[in-house]
Amino acid sequence: MRHWIWLLVVGFAGHWLRAEDYLSIEAAQAQFFGSDCQFQVTSIPEEKALSKAIKKQAGVALHAERIRAWKALRDGKCVGWVFEDNVIGKHEFITYAVAVAVSGEVLDVAILSYRETHGGEIMRPEWLAQFKGKTVDQPFKIDVDIDGISGATLSVRNVSDGVKKLLVLTQMELQDEQNR
Amino acid sequence: MRRFLFLIGVFASLSLFAGEDLFGHLKLAEPLPKGAWELYQIVANRSDKGTGTYEAYNYEWEVEYGVTNRFTLSGGLAGQGLDTSGLLVDGYLPGDNEYSFKLSGAELKMAYNFLAPAKDGVGLSMFLGVEKTWLDPHSGFDKDSLSLSTGVNLQKYFLEGQLIWAGSIGVESTKATRGELEGLPEDFEWPTFAEVELEWTGRTGLSYRFVPKWFVSLEAEFQQEYETEVNLERESLFMGPSVHYGGKKFWLTLSYLGQVRGSGETYEGQPDGYHLIEKTKREIILKVGFNF
Repeated sequence: MRHWIWLLVVGFAGHWLRAEDYLSIEAAQAQFFGSDCQFQVTSIPEEKALSKAIKKQAGVALHAERIRAWKALRDGKCVGWVFEDNVIGKHEFITYAVAVAVSGEVLDVAILSYRETHGGEIMRPEWLAQFKGKTVDQPFKIDVDIDGISGATLSVRNVSDGVKKLLVLTQMELQDEQNR
Repeated sequence: MRRFLFLIGVFASLSLFAGEDLFGHLKLAEPLPKGAWELYQIVANRSDKGTGTYEAYNYEWEVEYGVTNRFTLSGGLAGQGLDTSGLLVDGYLPGDNEYSFKLSGAELKMAYNFLAPAKDGVGLSMFLGVEKTWLDPHSGFDKDSLSLSTGVNLQKYFLEGQLIWAGSIGVESTKATRGELEGLPEDFEWPTFAEVELEWTGRTGLSYRFVPKWFVSLEAEFQQEYETEVNLERESLFMGPSVHYGGKKFWLTLSYLGQVRGSGETYEGQPDGYHLIEKTKREIILKVGFNF
């Protein structure tokens, strides 16, 4: 019995490191569009039909409850959208932000919170830069048009799928609304 | 001295770190990234052979290193403690034995990853291992063994990674020679010539992340061992749940595996439907590790 107690005591004593948040959504918004923009909260419909349609095109379902969205306004004119999304990592959710242009292409991506053991490279600007300019027509597949990161393939896949999902959402819901 | 060695083992392993397992025995197919180190400790309690008293503790300390993004090397030490009394099994358990800890063996393993589960749809790794032991894990007495093992680990993600299926199949060949024992009961069989055994194991399991960092799993293990003289020496099916906590720097897995059914060689007076000579009715496994 003593053996088990030793392991538990020493084990829990090691739990000193906490999840790390690297960037706030406000900082990401300013990084994406500049400090002269205003950000207006935009609601994401929690409709099963929409989620199904997005899954058909993007390959992953829309979990609206994990997403927050803002319309970026400069001098009252929409210049794009910012999304904050949470996707499944190996242990915890990965929180990331995406800026999408009015044309529907990715302007930028930032990791807000990453808590996994391996794969810290996912936060590097040079890795994230590969998303810039991508549109819904691109595959978003590891080793096809997305660079893999060893030890973090699940994180890379889910973030990549997530970005594509948000582009599809933009195309299906937000661009139409903007054009109306 | 034995207690000292045990404590050194515990602290050495826990101050470094560990590979992350969601199950008691079943391994995942994901490799370590290049340059990553992991170290882990396993403590397994095996108990209940149907009659008498039987309780064994097995310890493993293993360090793994990612040589490349696909090739992982690992090495480890094993130890054991045992308390058995009132149990005599001809050819296997020659009498009472009790000690808290002895080093029992060393192991070297390598694994090569062919497919990554998140990238290729299904993960596939092949492993190869060699193990040298000098204590019998069943009786606790001297027994020199050399084992070679090989097999494959499979893994697939569902629900964006929230649900994980894993499976493995492997074979192990062992050449073993028991040490001489004095004071054996009359007519007790205790062969000291070299024996060769062949064992194969199939495992499968599902693990579900029910909240961030916490997984609950269920695994099954089917194992058969063949030996020249008796052909099928033993067969067993174990099943049981695990709960796993995994953080960025610390993880823990607690598993219970119960023998659902077993057959093969039996000893007189044992309960029906189990193999209880080389196996017990239950195993409790605790794995702890820290990433560094």
